[in-house]
This record gives sequence, C-alpha cells and structure tokens, in this order.
Amino acid sequence: MSATRERIAKGSVSLLWALAGIALIAIMWELTKFVGTLIELPFNTSDQAMPHVWTMLSGFTVPEVRGSETTVFQAVVSAASYSFTLALGGFVIGVTVGLILAIVMQRFLFMERGLLPFVIASQTVPLIALAPLIVGIGNQISFGPVQWSTTYSVMFIAAYLAFFPLSIGALRGLHAPSPTSLELMRSYAASNNKVLWKLRFPSSIPYLVPALKVSAAASVVGTVVAEISTGVRGGIGRLMVEYARETTSQPAKVYVAVFGAIALGLVVAAVIAAVDVLLTRNLPKKGLT
Amino acid sequence: MTPTQLDSKNPGSALAISGLSKVFNVGNPNEVTALSDVHLDVHTGEFISLIGPSGCGKSTLLRVIGDLTAFDSGSVQVAGKSPEEARKERLYGIAFQQAALFDWRTVTRNIELPLELAGWQKSQRQERSAELLDMVQLSDFAHHRPWELSGGMQQRVAIARSLAVDPPLLLMDEPFGALDEMTRERMQNELLKIRMETGKTIVFVTHSIPEAVYLSDRVVVMSPRPGRITAEIEVNLGDRNEMTRESDHFFRCVTSVREALRVHDTSNSTSSSHRGEI
Amino acid sequence: MNTKLGYVWPPILVATIFLGGWQLLVVVQDLKPFLLPAPSLIASEFSSGATLMWGAAYYTATTAFLGLIFGTVLGLITALLAQRFITVDKLAAPLAAGLATVPIIALTPILNNMFNITSRTPRVLVTAIIVLFPIFVNVTRGLIQVNATQLELMRSLNATPRTTLRVLRIPNAIPFFFTGLKIAAPLAVIAALVAEYFGGPQQGLGSRIASAAANTAYGRAWAYVLAAIITGLIFYLAIIALERLVTPRTAQVTTTA
Repeated sequence: MSATRERIAKGSVSLLWALAGIALIAIMWELTKFVGTLIELPFNTSDQAMPHVWTMLSGFTVPEVRGSETTVFQAVVSAASYSFTLALGGFVIGVTVGLILAIVMQRFLFMERGLLPFVIASQTVPLIALAPLIVGIGNQISFGPVQWSTTYSVMFIAAYLAFFPLSIGALRGLHAPSPTSLELMRSYAASNNKVLWKLRFPSSIPYLVPALKVSAAASVVGTVVAEISTGVRGGIGRLMVEYARETTSQPAKVYVAVFGAIALGLVVAAVIAAVDVLLTRNLPKKGLT
Repeated sequence: MTPTQLDSKNPGSALAISGLSKVFNVGNPNEVTALSDVHLDVHTGEFISLIGPSGCGKSTLLRVIGDLTAFDSGSVQVAGKSPEEARKERLYGIAFQQAALFDWRTVTRNIELPLELAGWQKSQRQERSAELLDMVQLSDFAHHRPWELSGGMQQRVAIARSLAVDPPLLLMDEPFGALDEMTRERMQNELLKIRMETGKTIVFVTHSIPEAVYLSDRVVVMSPRPGRITAEIEVNLGDRNEMTRESDHFFRCVTSVREALRVHDTSNSTSSSHRGEI
Repeated sequence: MNTKLGYVWPPILVATIFLGGWQLLVVVQDLKPFLLPAPSLIASEFSSGATLMWGAAYYTATTAFLGLIFGTVLGLITALLAQRFITVDKLAAPLAAGLATVPIIALTPILNNMFNITSRTPRVLVTAIIVLFPIFVNVTRGLIQVNATQLELMRSLNATPRTTLRVLRIPNAIPFFFTGLKIAAPLAVIAALVAEYFGGPQQGLGSRIASAAANTAYGRAWAYVLAAIITGLIFYLAIIALERLVTPRTAQVTTTA
C-alpha cells in the first residue's frame, strides 16, 4: 500500500509543477499584452483578442445571456458534463468494439492479417472528416420506434477514435504470454477459451491499462471535435463555437468555455489516474516498455 | 597515507589503494557500506581478478578506480594520479558485462569512438581501428552493425574499443558474464593473448572461480557487508595451454579461492563491526 | 491454422468484401445517396471533380505541413531544454501528460481572435501546438532513457555533456522521434481539417465537406472525405519513408508510444 501512497505523493508534486507551469503561461500572456502596447507585434494584443487574465476569470460570473439567471460558469459546467456523458458512452462502445476485434484477431490469423492493416490505416487517415456526414445519415435512421439521435453520432465518432488504441494494446497483450506459459496450458489440454480467460486476459493487463488511458483521452478529444464538426448542441464543443462568435461583445466568454474543455480533459485524466493506481497495484513495479 | 604515497612514487605501481571506504545512502535506513578499509596494490603489467559474491563491492571498487563513482575516504592512485586525473588523461580503458555498443554505428566506428573523443585525425583513427580489428580477429566484420554479431563477437568489439587509445590500464567488469561456457573459455584465451601482446595492467571483476584463477596472476577475494578484501591468492600458472585447466596446480588454486570465499561466508556477523569506520 | 497465409491477400480480400458488400447493400436496398452513397458514385464524383479535390487537399495539406514542421521544431527544442534543465522537464512533463486528454483544437477560436482569421496563421498555430506534444514527450524519453552502461562508458572517455548529447543521446532518440512523428503527422492533417470548422478561409477540405453536406451534395462530400483520407495516408507514408531513409535497415528498434 505504501507504493500507492508514494505514487499519490509523486502525483501531488507533479500537480504543483503543473500549476507553476500554468502560472508561468499566465504571466507570459500578460507580458505579451504589455509588450504589445509598446511595440507592434505580428498579432492582435488588444483586450478584445487577448483579454486580461482577470477579465477571463470574471467571465465565470457573467450571466450567460443578458438578464438571464444562469451564469456563463453554470452553462459551461452543464455543457461539460453533457460532453462527459457522451465521451463516456463513446469510450464504453469503443472499448467493447476494440476488445472484440482484438480477441477475433488473436484467435484467427486470417483476421489479424486481413484487418490489422485497416485498423492501423484507420488512425492515419482523418476519418473525422466524415463527422458532418454521419449526422446527415443519423437523421435518417430509425430502428423501429427508436429514432437515431445526433448525440449517438457524436458517441459513434468518439468510439471510433477510442477503439484503435485499445484494440492494438489488447492484441499485443493477448499475444503477450510466453511460449512456455502457452506450452504449459497445452500440457493441461486447456481449451482455447480457457487459455483466453486463464492466461491471455491476465497477462494482457499491463498492456490494457495504458491502452485504456489513451482510449479515454481519445474519446474526450473525439467528443469535443465531433461536437464542433457536427454542430450538435448541448456540449462544450458547440458552446465554444457559439461563444467564439460573441467575442466582440464579450471576449471573456470563449475563454471560460475553453477552460471548461480543458477542465473536462483534466477530470478525465484524474479519473484514469485513479483507476490506473487501483488496477496495477498488484503488479510488479517495473513495468514493460 | 604514508606507504601509499611511497608506492605511487614507484614507477612500477599501476594502482595503489589504501584505506578506501564507500557508503551508499548515508543516513538512510537502507545504508550500505559498499567498501570498507580496502587496501590494494597492483604493479604494472599485473593481471588481478576481483572475486566475491553479489554485493561484496567488487564492481564498486572497479568504478571507484575508473572515477565512475566517488569514494568517501582513503586514497586511490592510478599510475600515481587521482582517478579523476587518470580518467581525464584517458589512462584506462573499460569493458562491461554488456558490450554497450552503439547500434547506430558500424563495428569500426564503435571502436573509433574513444579516438574521436580524444581528437584523433580520421586517417589515424582508421589505421588504429584496422589494427585493433585484426587483433580481435574481426576484420571481416568491420562494416557490420553490432546487432549482426554474436554475443562473443560483440564483446570482442567492446574489448577492442577499450584498447583503442592504448591505455596502460584495462578495467573489466564481468565482460564474459553473459556468454556461454565454450565461448567464454575461448574469450579467456584471447584476452590472455592480447595481454601478452600489449602488456596491459588488467583489473578483472568476475564471480567465476575458474575464470579468475585461469586468467590472473593474483586473485583478490572480497566479501560483503561491509565490502572488503578478505584474502589475496597468488596464482603462478605460467604459460597457459590446453592442459592448464586440467592441471593439479590449477585445481589447488581453485580450491584455495573457494575456501577463502567460504571462510568469510560464515563470518559475516563478526565483521559487521567494521561498519561506520570512516 | 494455415501458417502459409500470405501478408498481401488477406487485406485485399477483406477490402474487396467490404466494398463489394457496401455496393451491394446500396443497390439492393436502393439506398438514397444522402443516406449512403455507393462506392461507385463516390469514385465517379472523385474523378469528375479531381481539380476541386486537388485544390482543397492542397490547401489543407499545406496548413498541416507548415504546422507539422513548426510544431516538430518547437517540440525538439523543448525536449532538448527538458533534457538539459530539469526545471523545464518538471514544468513541461505534467502539462504534457495532462494535455493528452485536453481537446487542444479548442484553442482555435482564441487564436482566430489573436491572429488574422482570414489568414492561414491561426490554423497553422493550432496544428503546431497539437503536433508539439507527441514530439516533445517521445523525444524527451529518447534523450533521457539512455542505456546506463553506455553513459558510464561516455564518462570513462571523459566526454562532456555536449559530446554525450551528440554522440549518444541524440542517436538514441531518433527511433523515439519517429514514433512521435508517426503519431503527429496524421494528427496534423486532422487538426488542419477540423480547425476549418471554426470559420475563416473556405477553400480547404474541412470547409468543402461541410458546405457540400449542407448543399445535400452527398456524393461530392464523400469524395472530399476520400481526398482527406488520401492526404492523411500520404503524410503517414511520407514519415515511414523518411524513417526507412534515416534508419539503417533492420535497425528500426521498436519503441512504444
């Protein structure tokens, strides 16, 4: 357990350094603005384009629309939590699909040879460009009484981005057992399923955990990007685009939304870190590379 | 202090160590006395082996000599100089258990690395590396990459590299430890041949008793907790040949080294009083 | 299991089945193009609008390329600083780790405000920032994770930190650098494309896909998507080719991301 505590202590130190880094960025921001008042810089440093740090912070308490009860802060929080739900949905779907693909590819050599190039290629190409089209398709689909909602489209895109790191990590993990362990299972006359459950899954954990981290990150980024490119309302991605249009009147609002997106990412990072500590506490410290 | 200084004036002294101590993690609960009051003198051209169980400080002692790690107290003189001076003047070459070759360089360029760092001209470097490749019988592999070579061949490249700037002293940290027994014996013979040709002083760390006996003029036995020298056994095998490993003299030496190691295996408890002597 | 299975024909077979099934589905079910255009329709739209495709892809690829170069240079400089100065590493490493989950593309509206939105600049910058992180993280790892024995060897040879950097650390970091580039290059294309959805010049792939979709020209929209896919693939393959060129045969040490 002391190892866990050590990791938490280490994490706290890193957090302090990260805060120092953020403070440094804020100072440089203000410094840039100040220099901008003295000499001509190649970009706009006016209060409208680059509001003061304190203006951004005050943006949190501004009412969302004139005379409305809800503040920008509340709007951002609810948008971010909505996006979080979508990201979670995309993550679960992506992980399930990725895992099934990995198991199929591990079991059937033909599938590995046939599918793997496409799984890899799928990540090297910007299929995200399909996003505006997926919404168009989604609007036309219904399964019996269930009408496809545009939120499913966002989840679909998030899942698409999340499945890849997981399937690759899982495939590597399922292939991880040493020939000796496999020979041992063979000597027990274990069935393929038994080998999968008793040997391949447990030995894939060290590969699975980092893959899950990358997948979770991908599903958050995928959700926000999908919201932007599909124009789905309610999430933080769309909110940023909307607020960006209001910069002339209220320059601070868009920053609050951007902070919201960053906070969403950091919350997910914290959740992942906690899960990581929990899952890998029984594994030898020296992991694999 | 005094006898060491006298020795260091003597041109025949390759290495003079006295009262050397080294403690890791001072003040920590896991404080380890790696070396305690070590005295060792090696004369020019001598081949000595440091032998002992894991944790006896034999590798640490080698690293202190090479100025790869600092020591706490005592005196170390490499050819009359401090280890730092000796390192900076490139008075020693070193080979490790890992060949530690650079994958991105050819065999030749690996051997030339120390020469590059010492500022040799290209033509001189090529001449020297060709010479060394010939010595370790790898001329045919000059332009191969290290990973294309077997473990024994890689280690031969590492030895050639350690000889590159023609340093008077060779430090070897279990260089044959990862090789199979047959390759190992062949490498031992090659090392002896190189020694005959070059007359280097060699400090050789190993945990193999037959290896230490076969190679050395003198076997220095060490024991752990705290790391110290417990016995020194002179070996006078003369010129080695195929029969040497079968000779009675060889076996007697092996037996006495084994006994020296065993004696101190049981006397750990009494010797721990050395701890903290700084 | 047939161990004589080749590496070439399984993917071809899978692709043929996939495309054939798609075409068949559209024809048999009589699906309308707005739902799912047939591969044949996409192909004909692609070839008939080749000049348009080329122009849009060229615009987006240029943004991606500039961002990739700029971000790579920044990432390399940061990595060198992080190796040299522990403070830089401590400041940058947790930020880089935290930012992995952050949609950096969200910075686009801010950059659009700071820089001329009608120019390419904000898009190049956001692409550069996205590229910076995988390069920084991987190269730093390559510079720091050096074999301990090789470091001792460098010390025994009285090498200065600068020499050690040149002779040992940088060559050691090259495979890591390519690992980073292989992640960064496809990201650059995606970033350049998505940044176009925030407004600004309309001649890129992202803008064209959105406007074609808005005008219900679905066949054309899919053809633009195909152009985007080809662009991404070219970027990726270019990096692979560069890696082959730089790293000697079979020396391609595999490193994990």
